[in-house]
Amino acid sequence: MLHIIVCIKQVPMVSELPWDPRTGTLKRETAQGMMDPAARRALEAALQIKADRTSGPVSITAVSMGPPMAEEVLFEARALGADQGVLLTDPCMAGADTCMTAVILGKFIKNHCPDAGLILCGSMSSDSETAQVGPQLAEDLDIPAIGYARRLELVDGCIRVERHVDDFLELMEMDLPGLVTIDHAGESDRYTPRYVALGGVEAAFNKGGIQVMNSRALGLDHAFNALKHSPTKIMDVYSPVTEKKGRVLTGAVKKMVDTLFDDYGKIVSSAMGKDLKTHDHEEDV
Amino acid sequence: MEKQIWVWADYRNYFQSRVTLQILARATDLAKKTDAVVCAVVFGDRVDEYVAEYIAHGAQKVYVTDDPLLNTYNVESYAFLLSALVRRFQPETLLVGATRFGQEIAPRVAKQLNTGLTADCIDLDIDDKGRLVQIAPSFGGNLIAKIITPHTRPQMATIRPGTFQELPHDDDAKGKIIPISLPDHMPGPRVRCLKSELHPVRARKIETADIVITGGRGMGSKGKFKKLFDLAALLHAEVGATRPVVYADWVSTEALVGQAGKHIRPKVLFSFGVSGAIQHTAALADAKFIVAVNKNPNATMMKLADVALVADANQACSGIIRALKQRIRD
Amino acid sequence: MDFNPGMKHQLIRKTVRDFAENEIRHRAAEMDKGPGFPQDLMEKMKPLHYFGLQTPTHLGGAGLDTISYTIVVEEISRVSAALGLCITVHNSVGIYPILRFGTREQQQQFVPPMAAGDSIGAFCLTEANAGSDAGGVETVARKTDNGFILNGTKIFVTNGGICGTILVFAVSDTAPAQSSVFIVENHTPGFSVGEIEDLCGMRANPVASLFFEDCRIPADHCLGKPGQGLKIGLAALDTGRIGVAAQALGIAQAAFEESLAYAKARQQFNQPISRFQTIQNYLADMALQIDASRLLVHRAAALKDKGQPFSAQAAMAKLHGSTTARKVTNLAVQIHGGYGYSKEYDVERYFRDAKVTEIYEGTNEIQRMVIARDLLTRPV
Repeated sequence: MLHIIVCIKQVPMVSELPWDPRTGTLKRETAQGMMDPAARRALEAALQIKADRTSGPVSITAVSMGPPMAEEVLFEARALGADQGVLLTDPCMAGADTCMTAVILGKFIKNHCPDAGLILCGSMSSDSETAQVGPQLAEDLDIPAIGYARRLELVDGCIRVERHVDDFLELMEMDLPGLVTIDHAGESDRYTPRYVALGGVEAAFNKGGIQVMNSRALGLDHAFNALKHSPTKIMDVYSPVTEKKGRVLTGAVKKMVDTLFDDYGKIVSSAMGKDLKTHDHEEDV
Repeated sequence: MEKQIWVWADYRNYFQSRVTLQILARATDLAKKTDAVVCAVVFGDRVDEYVAEYIAHGAQKVYVTDDPLLNTYNVESYAFLLSALVRRFQPETLLVGATRFGQEIAPRVAKQLNTGLTADCIDLDIDDKGRLVQIAPSFGGNLIAKIITPHTRPQMATIRPGTFQELPHDDDAKGKIIPISLPDHMPGPRVRCLKSELHPVRARKIETADIVITGGRGMGSKGKFKKLFDLAALLHAEVGATRPVVYADWVSTEALVGQAGKHIRPKVLFSFGVSGAIQHTAALADAKFIVAVNKNPNATMMKLADVALVADANQACSGIIRALKQRIRD
Repeated sequence: MDFNPGMKHQLIRKTVRDFAENEIRHRAAEMDKGPGFPQDLMEKMKPLHYFGLQTPTHLGGAGLDTISYTIVVEEISRVSAALGLCITVHNSVGIYPILRFGTREQQQQFVPPMAAGDSIGAFCLTEANAGSDAGGVETVARKTDNGFILNGTKIFVTNGGICGTILVFAVSDTAPAQSSVFIVENHTPGFSVGEIEDLCGMRANPVASLFFEDCRIPADHCLGKPGQGLKIGLAALDTGRIGVAAQALGIAQAAFEESLAYAKARQQFNQPISRFQTIQNYLADMALQIDASRLLVHRAAALKDKGQPFSAQAAMAKLHGSTTARKVTNLAVQIHGGYGYSKEYDVERYFRDAKVTEIYEGTNEIQRMVIARDLLTRPV
């Protein structure tokens, strides 16, 4: 039996982000959550392995570290076909940076899933966009890892991974147990996530609650404090000014376009690396 | 002991990826503020040429492990070597280009050294205590975080390619080369590379293109949307699209610019008939100069623009094509 | 009493919204131009259980509770009311009567293909001379040795152009006061579909007349017992009303969201029109009425789930929901001004779609009768 662990992050739904219009900042605590799109692709990869008869029996555990409300993405993972969902939550886990997140996930896998064969993560989450938790979790578990997978295949007990990294198309292979991150921006449609079936949601909730583990159940030291132990500290978060005092042109299209090129043609031509005539357009007609 | 700022040298696909040179330039500024030495760290097989290049672009010292065994990029071996070197020479700061490979090796090294790492920085600074301030975006540039690594060393960051301007090539620059031999106890790599070939994919180009043209539903129809490709050909630009357009099948998913698609950072962005939903605008926070066309002057996209044309997107596109044909000098 | 939706209902809403926003929204305006739904869209919906919302899992459905069902209908209707109509009619008055009154054999035979979306359900009561007054049904079922022969014409049948399994109300030739319900399949000889109606709203839904000419119906295709037509009809309509209320709610919600966004963006006299008190009053009234509608819908659904009487509560939800949809879409057009009257903006479609929710599944006048009857017959 292949036991696949899929690490799933709940991220704020960008379209629902409540912005404070006066300060221009994000009221993140009140934002609705959703499953990180890259994690969704990782789960899709796990589901496809499970559906493939040549893989043999497969069990999928979805795990998330986050606040209690992150339970929702684990129900969603179950609705999509994960066999188990586990939420790692504790006030002392709050404020974990990528390094501490890897430690917490690592603790869960080492202590509670010793049979884990394949660990899948999204390559990069849509909120903090670090791409670090996957590689650091592999380091914590001391297992091999391959990042940015676009396609994976089980071959004689190893995993073979196709990936596209910095303009190189690569085929990699490693023995299991191992960790693979699924490309968050895969151009192939292979791991485009399926939609959740409504019966799946109903079934996910009929199966009972999500297993919830606090730091003690996980086996973390009683003095564990993710915020304190994270090597990085956030000094300040702000939202950059995006609204520009731009110039608004109205009127006939031809006139607007001429103004555009007369006044800003240099910017365009320097980006093109090609000269543009800026004035005297009337004579050229 | 002298303070050192290290830059891990990523030379693969050298002519495309200038990120190492860009970081060297910024490291030179930072080194002046903290009285530190700028060092490059190069691993590989027959890398003399790159070493010389890094010295010409600002590296004062170069640590080099040149060995036939390092002829392919391997995350595990490279991370092992880099961690070992850091333990030995204890630099204050270690900077890595946020290429995909850089973003694989850096977190592993940080974890091995139990130090902090900030991803994909768009700026670096030094605070009044001499600490490295790592400035990184999140939510596709909608938020910016300032991060420090107060207690552990080195302070690590990956740097987004294209963020800094490289220094001019200086043939007279002098740098000290410090050869480091491969340790005897290198662990065998557990990941085997079966194939690796240079394969630039066209679809990626939109992320690095200098000019991008995006279209939204305001273009009217699939047929009219095609006009954007005519404009793109004139401007040597790439074409991107909003989610409704992709779902309406006017253009393939690969063109999707947005939270779930491509992030772009062009010098000039032309935006046609895009209203500016945040899932879309989140991915273009780094566009330098924006020209937006929309019938609705109050569309969000128009407020993000440097120049906003209140017009039908499709007619304006035709107008711009006509004007360009007259203005482009042969 | 907890007014927060539970995690399951929240996830149902996100699930449907995700699908609706990605797969339906961009096609809704195009769908409005002609009757029928894109086949590829229907194919995508089938495996996700949109056609078997409350059908038990052993018959191929999702086995949802009624509150979940209303959330699904609301969210689909929020992007396309006409598709929401298809879904709600198919699930509530198409499948539900077979589940409630059908024999095990009838359920096994008819429900799985319906729940899979391969056979779309329709419900035919209305005739030229029978609308609110169900007693006016003139379609006749003549008893034969091994079944019935059906003759008559039904009008304004929702899903008529695409239906596969049809529930038909007919009176007996010997006892015209007694109506019965027959399950008719669309391949039955003598069955045909008339022209698609050219309606004001819900234009994507192929609403049509259906003709039955000497259709031979096997005896075991009679739903429930002969003569139970009225009982089945009333039960189906009670359930259907919850669906229509949810549908009206979705339309109103969509119109409200567009209006709020527009009011913030539209500048007049150098400020967004949302700064004007009149517009603020409109928005406040819209939000209030929508909230009240949603609470009424969920109450009726919760009563049904608990197995308690919900007929009057369903009528209230339908009456208030449809009135709200009409008022809110009207205000939405008003806030949008001239643009709101143009097909370029979705509120124009919402405005047309909303009206019929006051008419079908029992007119609002009938809803008041149902509510009043409940008040007057209640023990003091």
